[in-house]
Amino acid sequence: MMRRALVIFVLVAVAIPLMLAMAELPRHGSPDAPPQTHVAPYYLEHGPEEAGAENIVTAVILNYRGLDTQGEVTVIFTAMAAVVAVLVAGGAGVPADRAAAPATTPVSLIVRFIVRVLAPFIVLFSVYVILNGHVTPGGGFQGGTILGALLIALTLIMSESDARALLPQRPERLLQAAAPLTFFAVGMIGLLLTGDYLAYPHSGPTIWIATLMLTVVEIGIGIGGAMVVATIFRTMGADR
Amino acid sequence: MIAALWHNLDYAASVILFCIGLYAVITKENLIKKFMGLNIMETAVFAFIVAIGVVDGGEAPIMGPGVEPPFINPLPQALILTGIVVALSTTALALSLIIRIWRQCGTIEANELREVE
Amino acid sequence: MTPWPPLLALLIVVPLTGAVITPVVGRTRAVRSANWSLGVMLATSVIALVLVVQVARAGPFSYVVGGWLAPYGIELRFDEFGAVIAVICLLGTLAMVFSRRYAARAMAEQRIPYYYALLLLNLTGMIGFAVTGDLFNLFVFMEILSLSGYALVAVSGEKIAEMAAFKYLIMGAISSLVILLAIGILYALTGSLNMADVTERLGGAPAAPLAVAFGALTLGFMVKAAAFPLHIWLPDAHAIAPSPVSAILSGLVVKVGIIGMLRVYQIAYGSGAVDMRTLNHVLMWLGALSIVMGAFFAVFQDDIKMMLAYSTISNIGYIILGLGLASSYGMIGASVHVFNHAIIKATLFLGAGALIFQTGKRTLTDLAGVGHAMPWTVAAISVGAISIVGIPPTAGFVCKWYIALGAVQAGHPFFAFALVFGALFIFIYYIRMVNAFYFRQPRDPAILEVTEAPASMLVPVLILASLCLIMGVMGSVPLSFIEPAVHRLLLPLGGG
Repeated sequence: MMRRALVIFVLVAVAIPLMLAMAELPRHGSPDAPPQTHVAPYYLEHGPEEAGAENIVTAVILNYRGLDTQGEVTVIFTAMAAVVAVLVAGGAGVPADRAAAPATTPVSLIVRFIVRVLAPFIVLFSVYVILNGHVTPGGGFQGGTILGALLIALTLIMSESDARALLPQRPERLLQAAAPLTFFAVGMIGLLLTGDYLAYPHSGPTIWIATLMLTVVEIGIGIGGAMVVATIFRTMGADR
Repeated sequence: MIAALWHNLDYAASVILFCIGLYAVITKENLIKKFMGLNIMETAVFAFIVAIGVVDGGEAPIMGPGVEPPFINPLPQALILTGIVVALSTTALALSLIIRIWRQCGTIEANELREVE
Repeated sequence: MTPWPPLLALLIVVPLTGAVITPVVGRTRAVRSANWSLGVMLATSVIALVLVVQVARAGPFSYVVGGWLAPYGIELRFDEFGAVIAVICLLGTLAMVFSRRYAARAMAEQRIPYYYALLLLNLTGMIGFAVTGDLFNLFVFMEILSLSGYALVAVSGEKIAEMAAFKYLIMGAISSLVILLAIGILYALTGSLNMADVTERLGGAPAAPLAVAFGALTLGFMVKAAAFPLHIWLPDAHAIAPSPVSAILSGLVVKVGIIGMLRVYQIAYGSGAVDMRTLNHVLMWLGALSIVMGAFFAVFQDDIKMMLAYSTISNIGYIILGLGLASSYGMIGASVHVFNHAIIKATLFLGAGALIFQTGKRTLTDLAGVGHAMPWTVAAISVGAISIVGIPPTAGFVCKWYIALGAVQAGHPFFAFALVFGALFIFIYYIRMVNAFYFRQPRDPAILEVTEAPASMLVPVLILASLCLIMGVMGSVPLSFIEPAVHRLLLPLGGG
């Protein structure tokens, strides 16, 4: 009873100031609110020609706030490194009765068949999403997640050894770091070409280089993202 | 205040979602449920920030022939894409910690774990 | 001579990229990852040194990433408070050296490359956090350092390490979320994420959202800094982590909350739109409570690392008190204590780590008499202990003296009293520690047979201990270095 009263008190103490603050914020949806009049109009106006992307969200992610995105791919790499570091070489001190969980869940024939039939189409779709991020909703992360989901689905229907063979063995760790590495490489190329880190030569005769750099970044994010997601899943499922 | 809140209903909804998540974090003993509460809180904050970018009658900020202003603010969407990746990363790490706790202690109920300690 | 402008971006991306390559380098032999990460850290230190010299000569400067101008792109801004990167690089390098022998024994071979990668990522996150001038970028770097921090606590292999890491993760994630919420509110009010731009555009904003935003920022950063009632995650996490990680977590990672708080002040005072007086009062009380309670709990600890962890809470209290006073002396003392406490606490944690590594024991009772077996390590720990108490010729004294002066200057002599009271407690428990090491009868005579720590552990500890003394003798250098930044910060208040 005491505890419940305390919980209610905490929730009310959090909710009331937040509600008061929300009530005084600029009206929701108003075109005159500061977020709609200050920085964003610049993106909307100059995004297509300055950043070379019709999808302004992609323009912001890869161009205007590129360092954020480099940080973001590093965050997900950190998560992968953390999961591997926490779970690797574990297993000591398992209570015997609890450890007897089934090693693999049996998968029905239908699921196995459908995943195999859909796999090439899923790959195709993910490539499309990765490469078309600058004109349609999508981009490296979204496509990478689709690819990662496919890898997870395949891991589920295959035996342990087959699933291992699915991912390339030797360059595995390099591919896991693909996203931050391509960001660094492209950033340094930008530094050489324009004198600014992570800048793209968007104007002049070298515009094709900018397009190439952006595509490389998107592919890097896609492959890196897929590898990281699949690795996290596999590490969690491994050595029960 | 109620009238003002009515205009900012989206923001108010995210506050309610935030409190639901906080409730789960405080009261649930199961570590996975606790963490799902945190995920709900994260979703609430993301929803709030995305809602900031909404413009009445706005379209998705993808330029091209045949689209006209007003456009929805692209910046919050870009930020929250980052935010979602951060949330995913935190979730992955939390789940792997829970797996380890389960293997070592055989339970993931916070009250039972306190006894184990 | 101005350094090449993109150097500020390289300061972040060089260790960032170095970190993601670490597991690749260590694929066949783990020791390669140790060498590689040490090399990366040394390269970063060189860049950091050039930048710190530049800021000391010519004041703050900034760089926009990708050539996109300030409110549209991400601005990196390097000011005197950012000079904390010098300490980050120093402690990072020493912790890497210290880890070589430690990791080889305490961790499984496959874990080591990822351990170094996470350590580098943690340091990079802090560097990025210290130099960014953009609110959302701040959040991203905060997450890099937090995530790697949670994982580093969990890899120690101690029995309840995962539980401590999970507790740390829940508290850390909630505080990050609260900070993100506040950033969202500031964005809704100003339409900008650039700190300087937000500062300019905050005037005339409605009161309630402002109050909630700044309250939330303070709350979030106080959890990160482990101020007293919000400290519950700290003792377990810092005591259980591997010793080099404890040194980094206790010396640097909690300071992230303080640097964040300094940025909050820069926005709040610079804009003049926010009345920080109530919040400052809260901070003063939080600080005073942390000083006294942290020291109080530390007295009752027998586990040496647990004691050091509580002592961190107490010392963070000094810094928070100094910030809350909002007087120039208090602020200067607090900022310099960020540097000095990092060095002192790293001395103590690495020294304690060396003791535990050699003897396999971690309580004061078991370690009694170890001073005769490991004279150099224990001498270094004693120097650290004297510094943290704040006895005059050492690094701890200057800052505490300044904070006490600040309390009087701000018209709150009561807090100066709390400060002295806390110092007395701290004195008691460090005397207890030094006494046990030198003068108590060893419980187990075998402890006298223990040999001195290996060079890769002893050298970092001795370097840090001598720095404690040097910083004490040359105490005026950091004070005069940070002074212009503090005066610029307090200028809107009428010069403090």
